Amino acid sequence: MVPQRAGQKRKVVEVAQVEAEEDNGQLEIGALNGEFEGDGEGEDVVSEDDSDEGVDEYDEEDDEEGVEDDDELASDEIPSSEEGEEDVRQQLQDLKTSNGHSEPAQSLMGSDTAKAVAAIASDTPVKPFDDDDAADMPNYTITTDANGNPRYIYGEIDPVYDSDDSDAAIPGNTIGNIPLSYYDAYPHIGYDINGRRIARPAKGEALDSLLDSIDIPEGWTGLTDPATGKPLELTAEQLETLKKLTRNETPGDGYDPYPDMVEWFTGKGKEEVMPLSGAPEPKRRFVPSMHEHKRVMKMVKAIREGRIKPYRAPTEEDREREDAEQDFATYDVWATEQSRPDHVMNIPAPKLPPPGYEESYHPPPEYLPDDVERQTWEEQDEEDRDRDFLPRDHAALRKVPGYEQFVKEKFERCLDLYLAPRVRRSKLNIDPESLLPKLPDPAELKPFPTTCTTICRGHEGKVRSISIDPSGKWIGSGGDDGTVRIWDILTGRQLWKIKLSKEEAVNVVSWRPGPVDTCILVACCGETIYFLLPQNDLCTPETEAKSRDLLDAGYGYAATAPPPSKTSTGATKPSLSSWTRPPTPLQDRGCLLTLTLHTTPKTLAWHRRGDYFSTVSPSTTTVSTAIAIHTLSKHQTQHPRLRLRGLAQTTCFHPLKPLFFVATKTKVRIYDLQAQRLEKELLPGAKWISSISLHPQGSNLLVASYDKRLLWHDLELGATPYKVIRHHSKAVRAVAFHMGGLPLLADGSDDGTLHVLHGKVVGDLMVNAAVVPLRVLRGHAVVGSLGVLGVEWHGREAWRLEDVVVCGVAA
Amino acid sequence: MGKIKKKGTSGNAKNYITRSQAVRKLQIPLPDFRRLCIFKGIYPREPRSKKRASKSSTPSTTFYYTKDIQYLLHEPLLEKFRDQKALAKKISKALGRNEVSDAARLERNLTPRIRLDHIIKERYPTFVDALRDMDDALSMLFLFANLPSTENVPPKAVAKCQRLTLEFEHYLIRTHSLRKSFLSIKGIYYQATIQGQDVLWLVPYRFVQRAGTDIDFRIMATFVEFYTTLLSFVNFRLYTSIGLVYPPKLDAKSEESGAELSAFQLENQGNAGQAEVAEALDTEMHSKAQAEADRLLSLPEAEAGTAETGDVQAEALTAGDEPTAVDEPASTTLDQFTSLDPNADTLLQPSLTADVYTASQLFESFTVFLSRETPRHPLEFILRAFGCKRVGWDTSLGEPGAYCSEDDMRITHQIVDRPDIPLPSPPLTDGGLDTDDEDGPAVARKTNERIPGRIYVQPQWVWDSVNAGQLQRADLYAPGATLPPHLSPWVKPKKGGYDPTVPLAEQETAAEAEADSEEDELEADEALEEASDGEEIEGVRGDEEARELEDEVIVDDGMDVELAASDDDEEDDILDTKAGAGIDEWGGFSGDEAGDVDESTREARAHQAELEAEALGHMPQSGKNDAKKQAREAAQSKRTKAEREALEDVERRKLMMPRRKRKMFEKMVYSNAKKDEEAERLRAKKRKIEKQGGKPKAG
Repeated sequence: MVPQRAGQKRKVVEVAQVEAEEDNGQLEIGALNGEFEGDGEGEDVVSEDDSDEGVDEYDEEDDEEGVEDDDELASDEIPSSEEGEEDVRQQLQDLKTSNGHSEPAQSLMGSDTAKAVAAIASDTPVKPFDDDDAADMPNYTITTDANGNPRYIYGEIDPVYDSDDSDAAIPGNTIGNIPLSYYDAYPHIGYDINGRRIARPAKGEALDSLLDSIDIPEGWTGLTDPATGKPLELTAEQLETLKKLTRNETPGDGYDPYPDMVEWFTGKGKEEVMPLSGAPEPKRRFVPSMHEHKRVMKMVKAIREGRIKPYRAPTEEDREREDAEQDFATYDVWATEQSRPDHVMNIPAPKLPPPGYEESYHPPPEYLPDDVERQTWEEQDEEDRDRDFLPRDHAALRKVPGYEQFVKEKFERCLDLYLAPRVRRSKLNIDPESLLPKLPDPAELKPFPTTCTTICRGHEGKVRSISIDPSGKWIGSGGDDGTVRIWDILTGRQLWKIKLSKEEAVNVVSWRPGPVDTCILVACCGETIYFLLPQNDLCTPETEAKSRDLLDAGYGYAATAPPPSKTSTGATKPSLSSWTRPPTPLQDRGCLLTLTLHTTPKTLAWHRRGDYFSTVSPSTTTVSTAIAIHTLSKHQTQHPRLRLRGLAQTTCFHPLKPLFFVATKTKVRIYDLQAQRLEKELLPGAKWISSISLHPQGSNLLVASYDKRLLWHDLELGATPYKVIRHHSKAVRAVAFHMGGLPLLADGSDDGTLHVLHGKVVGDLMVNAAVVPLRVLRGHAVVGSLGVLGVEWHGREAWRLEDVVVCGVAA
Repeated sequence: MGKIKKKGTSGNAKNYITRSQAVRKLQIPLPDFRRLCIFKGIYPREPRSKKRASKSSTPSTTFYYTKDIQYLLHEPLLEKFRDQKALAKKISKALGRNEVSDAARLERNLTPRIRLDHIIKERYPTFVDALRDMDDALSMLFLFANLPSTENVPPKAVAKCQRLTLEFEHYLIRTHSLRKSFLSIKGIYYQATIQGQDVLWLVPYRFVQRAGTDIDFRIMATFVEFYTTLLSFVNFRLYTSIGLVYPPKLDAKSEESGAELSAFQLENQGNAGQAEVAEALDTEMHSKAQAEADRLLSLPEAEAGTAETGDVQAEALTAGDEPTAVDEPASTTLDQFTSLDPNADTLLQPSLTADVYTASQLFESFTVFLSRETPRHPLEFILRAFGCKRVGWDTSLGEPGAYCSEDDMRITHQIVDRPDIPLPSPPLTDGGLDTDDEDGPAVARKTNERIPGRIYVQPQWVWDSVNAGQLQRADLYAPGATLPPHLSPWVKPKKGGYDPTVPLAEQETAAEAEADSEEDELEADEALEEASDGEEIEGVRGDEEARELEDEVIVDDGMDVELAASDDDEEDDILDTKAGAGIDEWGGFSGDEAGDVDESTREARAHQAELEAEALGHMPQSGKNDAKKQAREAAQSKRTKAEREALEDVERRKLMMPRRKRKMFEKMVYSNAKKDEEAERLRAKKRKIEKQGGKPKAG
């Protein structure tokens, strides 16, 4: 039992050594046995009680007796190490001779499995030692159990060979009828009758397999017996049987597959003696048939008359004649021809086109390829060539060679005829001009803007908004520099300027519409809306007075107005807007009234009468205050509850009815302000609406969108646009109908162009509105991917003016 | 709600089946299926939706129309194919048993005979249908008639093809229905009009055809098998329609000696017994009279035409017995219509050879001799098809059938294809009636000399005359002369396309013409410059100026006009004081005024340049050159302006098109532009060639 004690790491070598020593010296065995004994029994106990603790105990024992072991090992092994070479040889010999023994295999197996196998298989080889000594020793050992009482543990009873236990004769695997492959993951292949693991027999790995391959034992098959896991061996007889079975022969010798028939009912001496019927033989069996005779006579007659000719094998001549007859038509197939109406699915093969000039043997010189063409043709792949030959010139007919590709071309034609899929394609052989729609001559649709008459220079940075005053004399503009300027429309001269803010840009500039007797310009800068009365003698004293009155009217109203409404909790609502009189310096410069909102208005739309206007602040987080409707005469601000489902973009008032148009990112909603309900919802299909414009008659709406489209909605037709116009290559920023009665519209885009279109709206419901593109006006510089930011029509005349993005210093 | 339709029961899914499905349905091997398809004229289709048509996940390539395949199921040929397969099995079994005689007997007696008559009738319900499909058949059979026999091409098939094609040619000769012919590098194209159907086919030149390894002769043989049957039926119909017996008798002996066309003896149906050797007999009988006529003909310029020799024509007409002879030639000839207004649409006119009468009398009065270097068969065929009854050739081209030998004095035209033939060295003996004696000229003449009294032409003369419908000038086609280009008679002049027959000046566009003239002038300038050193500076200046102006004009072409509208901008530009360049972002509108401004600008610039030149001390440019240049520039600017306006208009109208239509329009414009480009390329080449040649060639 040295291997177990001496530490598992060196086990492999030491097992062999012990055996070698056993062979060498008998004397030492006795001395060693005493020690072996106790350990061995201890081990037995362990293995019987609980195999789990076994390993721990090994370790403990190793620790306790480690010193002794060392001593013993020293005494034992030092001599053996002196004759080391011999020992090694001896061990190797043992390895070879110990056939089927588990230990040699350990040395060849991987370390982990080797350990496990050793642990399991340790019992078997140890047994004989036990048996030898068991005669003198008591059959049991005494230990103390858990209660401190002595416990007798009996050794294993080993039934001797001639015991009457017949079952024990088969030391088989007890796993039953299950595949052995279930144990593939384990080092054992099953359990014996005692529940012990049966170690997996050594597989033919490495050295073993090498040895096996050198001398194949008799009956070797290379197969594994699935029952035992051992190599399957077959005797010559068994092999012979197998061979016969595979050949469909009878397996055993001496079997006769064709034995003589044993006659039981027929054959000699067993004939039927009595006839079944006693009737006499009929006459017809002796007299020739009259019917047959008649038929034969008919044939004879036919032969005599020559109606039936005896068979004569056709000669060569006959055959040739027949062939010749077949070769050439002997009748007219189309004798009774009847035309068949053409079927749709019948597609006749296209004819080959007739040859052109370049195919001539002596073409005009301009058809001959020059060097470059020749080279490109030669370099091209055969399939890519536009023609399959290169024009050549031969001065005389005698110089024309044969065409090499002739057979190939004809063959390809054959392939085309029966392999190429055919399809009917209608070929459009028309002038492309005829596809173009007929548009009225632009000259007939005049007037429309064609030229730039004035450029107003002065703003620093972008001009965000312009507005033409109701009288049509001035343009108001506001831009990034925070100023509002007024220009003369004819000369482009700057008439008046006011700086509203240093940081914030003027987003919107808009003249108050309505009769000409007032002159009020509204500008949104930051969160404030300024009401401006232009100075510099732009307006007469009367208009000035009237304008002042109009702006001041609200103050009185505000004073008499009821106190702000209270919420349910009783607290006063914080007012979202404040109408205030600006400080005096500002008043002196022309600003008479300011309205401060808590959001930044981006668009402003006036009601036609000039009393109401709406602002939209699309960047606000709260949707409820995005849209505000202000009453100028009362200095009042309302936030209508619209329940919008998106960010409000822009608004406008219907010119005739009390309708209010609100554009969100994707939809346009129309509200009836009187009835306070949603009238209609339009779905332009745009992803982001930039601006809308309502026709002066109020029946058509133009929607411009950042996704490059212009959408024309006929409000009577439904929710989807009547026309989608995509002419711009970049986002469309602004669109405007001409308000002065001309059927014109214009849109400006980030690509720096303005399109002027003719859009005639007819009162007749049956006639659709016609849209005709008239002119593309270019020339705007595109700065920072921004082009035309706004479009405004002059009130009465067909001038069109637009915002200009001006950069640099004013001239 | 209607019934839910099951997928794959209608439409594309039902109408088309793949090839493998078809083969499985018919239960025949693929090669048999291929043959069947060729015979029956069944071809794959391109379903509108391939995805719907294919039932399997793997993409199929060929689809057949299901009804086609269904219709094949009842085909009697299928039975024949199966018989053949059974026979093949029997024979192989017999051979396996070493019973060779049995195998031979089986093959002899049981081989099924495949007849295609019913298929011809099915595929072509009327005779005209068959004629419509003759193009490929004739091309193929003419090829096989010229192929050497190999194991792939049995000699029997070749002989049959030869015989059928010759029979067909005989019909064409008889009825004068050949209309056009064209010598191409691939072979000779012929076009005939039979019963109102145009049939065009290609005959290879007589050279050994090269067949690559990638050619499957079995497929071609299947086609040939079908086409031979078709042509034999067509021939039968054609022969019987003009009262001839079909098949015509073939003189095997003369055929072997290379008689080709003349090996056949056509018989009239009425007197089927006696062979009609029409041509030979006729010519024999009237040889004397004909000789007289020919002599008369050859005395004047000979190409004087057919009008003068009215009596000869009449004689010929009565002599040859023509079943289709026209009684009133004057009434059937076509008048030529010429449109007086160049802008009006030109109507397609039938070509001059469109009627039988012209075709039958084009070469009627001639006796033609073919030299030994000319291709005999095509020439004989085409000459006879166009009325020539007396064609002789050198004995080396085949003994029988030749009308006369080379020294025959009746010959009016000799077709030669040699570099040049010297004139006879001794002074011309008067070739009157004396030369009719056979021995005289034969002794006196050297072998390689011209024989007086006949016209020597190259073969192309025949073809060009045929295509033009009238005799061409023979001196252009004299031996050794550079031939005029041989043109295809099928190309129709298209508007804007290049037409080699029309002088360049008539067809080039204004822009091209201008560019050309400008180039010319530049060249002239350069030449001048080289000639006179003193005026070098002026010349250079002029050129530069021209270039500068040109550049500007090119800039004007674009939509974005750089030129500003205001006058001061111009000033800036000219004086090169570009101080305000940074300020001026405004590019101006592309407007109507742009063109006008161009004009004024140009004038101003010209004036400025003049002033500058004066200031520098140069003489002002010579007025004449300037005026010319100015006129040209004016025209150019006018044209570019018009072009630009047109372009703008098109752009405007395109904006209003639906996207699909716009794409179609753009495609069409593209393809038209490509054609124009091709025509332009050809014109440019022609111009170059003309310039190199010095004088313009007459088209």
